[in-house]
Amino acid sequence: MRPIVLHGHERPITKIRYNKDGDLLFSASKDNIPNVWYSINGERLGTFDGHSGAIWSIDCNWDSTKVVTGGADNSLRLWDLQTGKEIANIVTNSPVRTVTFSYSGKLVFYTTDSVMKFPSELIVFDTTIGEHLTGNDHVARFPSGAQKPTAALWGELDRSLITGHVNGQITKWDLRKPHDKLNVVEEHKKQINDMQYNVDQTMFITASMDNTAKLFDANSLELLKVYKTERPVNSAAISPIRDHVVLGGGQEAMQVTTTSAREGKFEARFFHLVFEEEFARVKGHFGPINSVAFHPDGKSYSSGGEDGLVRIQTFDPPYYEFKFEY
Amino acid sequence: MDRMVPQSWADQMAEQGDNDLDEGLASDLPPPEEIIDGDTKKIITYRYNEEGKKVKTVSYYRIERRQVSKAIAMRKSWKKFGNAKRDPPGPNPSNTSIVSDDIFMQFISNRDDDQLDASRDSNLDSKSQALGNRSIVKCRYCEQDHWTSKCPYKDKFEQLSILKEKDNAAAQASVEPKLEDGKKTGKYVPPGMREGGNKRGDVMTSSKSKDEPNTIRVTNLPEEIMDSDIRELFLPFGRVVRIFLAKDKYTGQSKGFAFVSFEKREDAANAIKAVNGFGYANLILNVEWAKPSNN
Repeated sequence: MRPIVLHGHERPITKIRYNKDGDLLFSASKDNIPNVWYSINGERLGTFDGHSGAIWSIDCNWDSTKVVTGGADNSLRLWDLQTGKEIANIVTNSPVRTVTFSYSGKLVFYTTDSVMKFPSELIVFDTTIGEHLTGNDHVARFPSGAQKPTAALWGELDRSLITGHVNGQITKWDLRKPHDKLNVVEEHKKQINDMQYNVDQTMFITASMDNTAKLFDANSLELLKVYKTERPVNSAAISPIRDHVVLGGGQEAMQVTTTSAREGKFEARFFHLVFEEEFARVKGHFGPINSVAFHPDGKSYSSGGEDGLVRIQTFDPPYYEFKFEY
Repeated sequence: MDRMVPQSWADQMAEQGDNDLDEGLASDLPPPEEIIDGDTKKIITYRYNEEGKKVKTVSYYRIERRQVSKAIAMRKSWKKFGNAKRDPPGPNPSNTSIVSDDIFMQFISNRDDDQLDASRDSNLDSKSQALGNRSIVKCRYCEQDHWTSKCPYKDKFEQLSILKEKDNAAAQASVEPKLEDGKKTGKYVPPGMREGGNKRGDVMTSSKSKDEPNTIRVTNLPEEIMDSDIRELFLPFGRVVRIFLAKDKYTGQSKGFAFVSFEKREDAANAIKAVNGFGYANLILNVEWAKPSNN
């Protein structure tokens, strides 16, 4: 395969995401400008200018009309995708760590870090209500507790929320009764860096600093599978067409300079979803991979790394011919 | 020519210098051409290189047409915005590039075991067959399978025997160095003892594969090398069974040599052939068969 490399960022990539059709690829980085690209040829469609800090999270709604970004400059911004114009700028008390559109694209769920006297919070607002876009009102707002969320998903039917926390616990919240947790599981020992659904949203995969990625049932939070590696996992994604998962990781960014370059394994690693066994690797990045995402058609995947590059890899025939023997 | 990117002062000066030089020449350059032929686009541009020579650059593009949903087609026609606003249609080479060399997905095969076993079995079969077909007895004169003393051509060959002797000696000499190579792993055997018949080589390899695993010794490795690097280095040759990298007990640094065991002897042989003398991290690797341990 000949990956397409996107040099749109000057600092490490924090998050990449495809839209629902897969024709657009969004990239957020620690520089202040999120980018959007055509995934087919790597052409840059545009940039969203306005933030003044690292962008931690980016998401696009299902019909690809709006984009929401949240960053370390204590703001959450809603953008019009076609023109790149800012629709709303919601000022928060502390950095926005995760932000996701609900399945219907009407609600936005974001979490904030705990900073000084401000506790970390889970906030849900409605993009169709003007008052909500000023940040003065919301659908729900409640504290996350002592452990701040570092990854988040909407639960089924947009009625619940799932958060992965800095201590490795996963919590499911009922949007209607936010103060009672529906479920708490503590399967990970360290921070959860990423959570991504499979194609039908019945399962999700978590990526954790404790060197594992784990597969959970989205409804019951039951632990289904464990994918073990020997280094922190920053991101994990499930193939929409095959029983494969891809993990991106590497050592922590702060340790990269103190270890030998050849030792630092910055490959994307492919595991079999069911047998939990690694079967392939793809090289490319010059630093840890911070975010991976499968194209919704399953024929390519992208990775964004600490090296500030996004690589779009399209699978070659050997990938499709590969059969995992058991 | 309008420039939208703010430039560094040095670039600007360089640009100016270029412009002064090119003032007269620029007009000589033919205008860029764009030829669309079926599904290929050819763009021809001209420029002057540093030596002032005219350079013609022809770049070929493949035009792909894809059928996509209406929404995607519509999005493809959107105007670019933000920092990409002034980009020309198509990917801007300054922030989109295609990796020039192919990157392969490296499959970590756990399925080769069966195939390997099968191939090994067939190998053994063919070997024993070969042994079976070739009789042990061989005439020194006519090289047919009877005792030399019973050779019907004895008389004829008698005269040539002196000549033959010489030939044999020459052949012996040519075989000798080859043997030395293969022997490196074994204990030193005086040439006299090696006169074990014509299937000397055969005996050697089979005995080795029995007692000694298919292990090679790699020396002159860099200090900072890791097990994983060695695995990477030898993975292309075949399935690696074991890697032993000698490390310092206290610092954990490599001592500069390692043993690598392959599942198949041919793989190990290939590895020696390919990696011996190979430059790795500014060092030239030395790879040979591992000597059997003395105990």
